[in-house]
Amino acid sequence: MRWLLTSLFFKSPFENLQRHADKIKECTHMFKKAINLHMQGKYEEFENIKDEVARLESEADAIKRNIRNHLPRGILMPVDKFQFFQYIREQDKVLDEIEETLFWLSFKHVSIPEGLKDEFVHLVDLVIKPVNLLPELVNQAIVYFRTNYKDHRNRVKSTCRDIRQWEREADFVERELKLKIFNTIKDAFLIFYFIRLTEYIGSIADHAENASDMMRAMIAR
Amino acid sequence: MTVETLILVCASFVGLYMAANIGANDLANAMGTSVGSKAITIRQAVLISMIANALGAVLAGSHVTNTISKGIINPQLLSSQPDKFIIGMFASLLAAGIWVNLATYLGLPVSTTHSIVGALIGFGIISIGASYINWGKVIPIVLSWIISPLAGAIISGTLYTLLERKVLFAEDPYKASLKYSPFFIFLVFVILILSFIFKGLKNLHLNLNLFTALSIAIPVSVIFGIAGRYYMEWRVKKTISSSEEKGYSLIESFFAQLQLLTACYVAFAHGANDVANAVGPWAAIFSAVKTRSVALKVQVPFWMLLIGGIAVGGGLMAFGSNVIKTIGENITDINPVRGFCAEFGAATTILVCSRLGLPISTTHVIVGSVIGIGFARGAGALDLRVIKNICISWLVTLPFTLFLAMFLYKIIIYLIL
Repeated sequence: MRWLLTSLFFKSPFENLQRHADKIKECTHMFKKAINLHMQGKYEEFENIKDEVARLESEADAIKRNIRNHLPRGILMPVDKFQFFQYIREQDKVLDEIEETLFWLSFKHVSIPEGLKDEFVHLVDLVIKPVNLLPELVNQAIVYFRTNYKDHRNRVKSTCRDIRQWEREADFVERELKLKIFNTIKDAFLIFYFIRLTEYIGSIADHAENASDMMRAMIAR
Repeated sequence: MTVETLILVCASFVGLYMAANIGANDLANAMGTSVGSKAITIRQAVLISMIANALGAVLAGSHVTNTISKGIINPQLLSSQPDKFIIGMFASLLAAGIWVNLATYLGLPVSTTHSIVGALIGFGIISIGASYINWGKVIPIVLSWIISPLAGAIISGTLYTLLERKVLFAEDPYKASLKYSPFFIFLVFVILILSFIFKGLKNLHLNLNLFTALSIAIPVSVIFGIAGRYYMEWRVKKTISSSEEKGYSLIESFFAQLQLLTACYVAFAHGANDVANAVGPWAAIFSAVKTRSVALKVQVPFWMLLIGGIAVGGGLMAFGSNVIKTIGENITDINPVRGFCAEFGAATTILVCSRLGLPISTTHVIVGSVIGIGFARGAGALDLRVIKNICISWLVTLPFTLFLAMFLYKIIIYLIL
């Protein structure tokens, strides 16, 4: 039976947003594993994980579409709907960039030079950090929208700050790595290959930051 | 058994039938926000609403009811034919009761108030003709259907914004809630006492003016406000042991205590406003049978309001538990702070509109209040398409009960006369 009061309450799209963010965390774990396998030259296993990430990405895409398609006009949310859609877009792009990076690596199996390996691992670790904060960020936001307490809002703000700081650090390392690529590699193809790779990895953190900026805008008062 | 007794028994049966339906449909919604926020259990909700609803009916209900729904038609036109009047009232009650029962069964969001208004208009049209209907009186009624949810939304939304700024965003939210609570309790009691003085004490013909009424209401409410604060602080300390987020669970339980008060307030307001929907026509039949004339206004006997109030509670107990459960499970977005605001805004609007003599729907006002909190960014996702449902329910309820009342009237006239 439908009751007027119950039909007033619409299933919060934030729950699905949480599912989407959880999928991303799953992917970052695999991403790290794939990079390691690639560096060890285990390309076959690398390809398997890449396919697995692609599968997860399409699942996350379905969640994203589900959120967008089931949010009709006439739903009143505690946040601006436009900002909310922007947030999902950015969160989804994080996943796209992870996938793109793995695809880039799989287009042509080029082993990373010994002198750059550590830097690449460091960069990957750094970009994963802000991304892994996204599920927590969404969860904190859900709690805040449920209670509207100042404290809960401050937690969201502080996570946004953390994400921003990790991104800045990743940016710095990305620039250093590019410099090193230009200084150590002479072959034009390899320069293009590794510069592009560095940019792909770096953009993962960029989109995580964009997402957190959107979240910050959503909780603005 | 004489014919008169038979009529009275039938009228009582139909009146109670309508009252029970009102309980099952309307009162369950009235308690929804309390159950949804887990401030009270379903059992408590049933108990509170039975008692407070009966009290509301007796203490603040319409003791003097305009026999034909706020003067939409002039019953004097039927003064020579009390039989027709009795049959019309009977048909109207039955039509409204059937419609509310059907709607409850189908899960349609309808207003019990609008059902009876529609039925009475139908009876008016068929008995004395459409040209005698005072259509001018219909306009403020229709306007009140729009204004009352809006008023609920504005009061609740403002209160929520105020609470968010002063309490939820305070350095020490619990201290802030203690500080402001006497004010909220004060407001609840001022409105309760005023509605009691202006409506409940009318029979005593005290005729207090606003100033005298306020000079009684304000000091009493101040005392209740201060005492209530300390009582609740004591209750909260008793119920809360230790918890990780002590600061916030304290506020939650504090507002849950406040919501116990506003739940009673809502049930009281419902009793004052909606019991009359069943009892008004019922009392009109009694008066017409006994005096063999049609009065412009009839006195609703005390016992009738009491029985009506209890019947509404009984209807809730019999059929409403499931509704309350469904509502409670579906509106988890409501926490005690929001529930408190929604109930305060709704009950205040209902009592004020009831005082102004406007027939409004309790459910619609509560929906309006929750939407108001949503606009103050104080709720999860709200489906505003429900407003369309409300409009549909207006468009369906009125014609349905109108024609059903006309139909039943014709049948009864055909069978009896």
